[in-house]
Amino acid sequence: MEASLLELFPRFVDLKDLLQNEVEARYILKKATDFLERIKSKGTADEDEEIRYLVCALVDRNWERIHTGHFSNVPLTIRKIYAIACFFKIFFLLMESSNSRQKEQCSGILDEAQLLGCTDDWSDLKAALMDYLDKGQEEPTEPLPILPAVLRVLSPCDIPQLDAPGLNEFKTKCFQPQQPTLLLNTIKHWPAVDKWRDLNYLLNVAGNRTVPIEIGSNYASDEWSQQLVKISDFLRRQFVVDQCGDGRREIEYLAQHELFAQIPALKADICVPDYCTVSGAEVTAAAVDIKAWLGPAGTISPMHYDPKHNLLCQVFGSKKIILAAPKDTDNLYPHESEFLGNTSQINAAELDFKTYPLLERVRFYKLLLQPGDCLYMPPKWWHYVRAETPSFSVSFWW
Amino acid sequence: MRQLLFTGFNAFGQHEFVNSPHDERAASASAVCAGFSELNAHDGGNSNNKKNQCTISIAWRYTAYALDRKLRLRGLLETEPGDCVEVETPGEIKALAAGDSHCLVLLYTGELYKIQPKLEATLQAIRLESPPRPSTATKRTIFGAAKAPAPPIIEHIACGTNINVAISSENAVYSIPSCLHQFPDRQWRVQQLECGHEHALLLNGNGDVYTWGNGLRGQLGQVALGVEEMPQLIEALAGIKITGIAAGGWHSAAISAFGDLYTWGLNCSGQLGMRVMKPGGFLKEPTVYPLPQLHDLPECCRSSKENESGDDEGVCEPLRVFAGSRHTLLLRRCGRLWASGWCIHGQLGKQLCEQNFLDAFQALDGVGVDLDFVNGLCGPWATLLMVTAKQKKSVSSADAIS
Repeated sequence: MEASLLELFPRFVDLKDLLQNEVEARYILKKATDFLERIKSKGTADEDEEIRYLVCALVDRNWERIHTGHFSNVPLTIRKIYAIACFFKIFFLLMESSNSRQKEQCSGILDEAQLLGCTDDWSDLKAALMDYLDKGQEEPTEPLPILPAVLRVLSPCDIPQLDAPGLNEFKTKCFQPQQPTLLLNTIKHWPAVDKWRDLNYLLNVAGNRTVPIEIGSNYASDEWSQQLVKISDFLRRQFVVDQCGDGRREIEYLAQHELFAQIPALKADICVPDYCTVSGAEVTAAAVDIKAWLGPAGTISPMHYDPKHNLLCQVFGSKKIILAAPKDTDNLYPHESEFLGNTSQINAAELDFKTYPLLERVRFYKLLLQPGDCLYMPPKWWHYVRAETPSFSVSFWW
Repeated sequence: MRQLLFTGFNAFGQHEFVNSPHDERAASASAVCAGFSELNAHDGGNSNNKKNQCTISIAWRYTAYALDRKLRLRGLLETEPGDCVEVETPGEIKALAAGDSHCLVLLYTGELYKIQPKLEATLQAIRLESPPRPSTATKRTIFGAAKAPAPPIIEHIACGTNINVAISSENAVYSIPSCLHQFPDRQWRVQQLECGHEHALLLNGNGDVYTWGNGLRGQLGQVALGVEEMPQLIEALAGIKITGIAAGGWHSAAISAFGDLYTWGLNCSGQLGMRVMKPGGFLKEPTVYPLPQLHDLPECCRSSKENESGDDEGVCEPLRVFAGSRHTLLLRRCGRLWASGWCIHGQLGKQLCEQNFLDAFQALDGVGVDLDFVNGLCGPWATLLMVTAKQKKSVSSADAIS
């Protein structure tokens, strides 16, 4: 490990306030920071075995604390200690070896530090470690496919369409009347539209990052689960046509993930559409949540609604979308459980009027979302989304 | 003579070993004690008198020991590992429940105290709120004034990270210090109370299991994931006579009078004895099982020459179950221990310390071959067995001390 990298690690004085009431973290991180200081001054140090074990135990211990109770209630102190413990665990692993397997393991730990922990106070260290770990990690494996650029197809659309409307037009025709609208050719200028179809580009920029992936075609089904997966593994499993496969591979979906906060290089390929600055109040720059949705053909988001304004932008591939108005909520059979209260029990693609007779009263709107277009959905509009081809969408909520 | 055998996390000198070990495993990694080693129990070596045996409860950074009226907390209390604090209690100690921020101490009188794990620790009495009394049962003095209720007599305690539970002799359930629930009928008594990090499990004399607390990881055994404030019967086990329960960090286990094992909750490290990864891939099986899963345990065969002691039944059912944060331990009739779950900190013994976890129940060979099992207990990342030198018969449920 380079000396410049070691300089970025926290010293004990930097952590004192954070660790005031944390008996075990104070004891363990004191030992770890002392050890690091000895390395920095002398170049070597012995008796690392116990400290190394203690640091790993501190990671495991705070992983357990983070997983106790609801994530939103976990004190920031615990998430910060987790992140710092992860940094030191990486330090000890790299002391042992810096071969590519070890680096890959460290990458995984760093991603967990970012996803579960709070790395805000140490963003320089995080970025420097990420750089260091990514270096020389490109595996000489077979390339991923470049998805073909598809030409626009004519397709019926049950809602109004506007060709790249101006801000005012958007405000008066869509935002104010709460009118779902298909906005054509609005994001054609994004570098993402050309770049991301080449999956090798995504692999290069993001392959080593770990992201939450939904497994199973639809989140309301019993077989559904969510787990952390490396993007490179996800891309290979889902986008390489495997010759000997039995076709029974489960569908994985990188859904509703704040990918762009995690990978700034991808953020540079898109820009927040001006439409997201339109708000009920005159001019307020409300915070915009940007989420990524990447998956193979066949991913499904069952009929559900979200509380915010939503602009769903299609980078590549196409998605079939079915909408219903908020006034039909009572006819759409929302799940009764707390977690799925915004999700309907129906399959919008195949209406079952016998089981759900009230559906007769619902007006559904169908459309096909194609590359370069965005769909504006006002708050509480119900939507069902199914990818017809491999697809990458970016959503903006405000 | 009773012996204590320990394996697992010991980074803070929580546990004192009989032969302050100089063997290689202790020297190589003193922080993990992988492989069962004998602990110094400080109970004077007196064999079968239960009163002279120390009571133990294991928290993550310290362990609490009690003998008669002496209470000792040992571990990382403030700045140095191996620190020890000793206090004397007003009466004999019946039970301990060691948690992260405090240790609950229950006396035989039914009084409840708590103590913080620090050097200047003092015992603090816990005053419990009285349960709502049914109006018909209000006791009055001869002058008609309502009698002040007598303080409840506590019989069971347990605690986790976010949960502290006590149960009185009148079946009032306390979320310390407030009364959470009063079970209406007193026909049954509470047999066992266990807490995970944030959920509680209660077994009554009818063999019914009640759960409450945080069930977001399926630990309550109910269909819907969510938080339950009040004790709820596990419907899925209703009608099955349960004889023993255990609460892990975010999982639960139960064994029935028919010799069946059920587990439910989080399976992130195989603690349910369910497969973690799908074959051949990086993908995981579901990590949460909200409903009790019935296990088809592998045969616990003993070679016929060892089987001369007369336990000729082919079935070797589970008798007792114990659970740590992410591991589960099973005692089967023949006396062998079986285990599943996380083992990276040595919590399942030496044999498995090369692996991170075990996701199917496996026999822990070589443990207790010439010993009889008396009782067991799990710390978050540790396992402690109480054993005696082998007598003629193998264990039966009647020998087990709860």
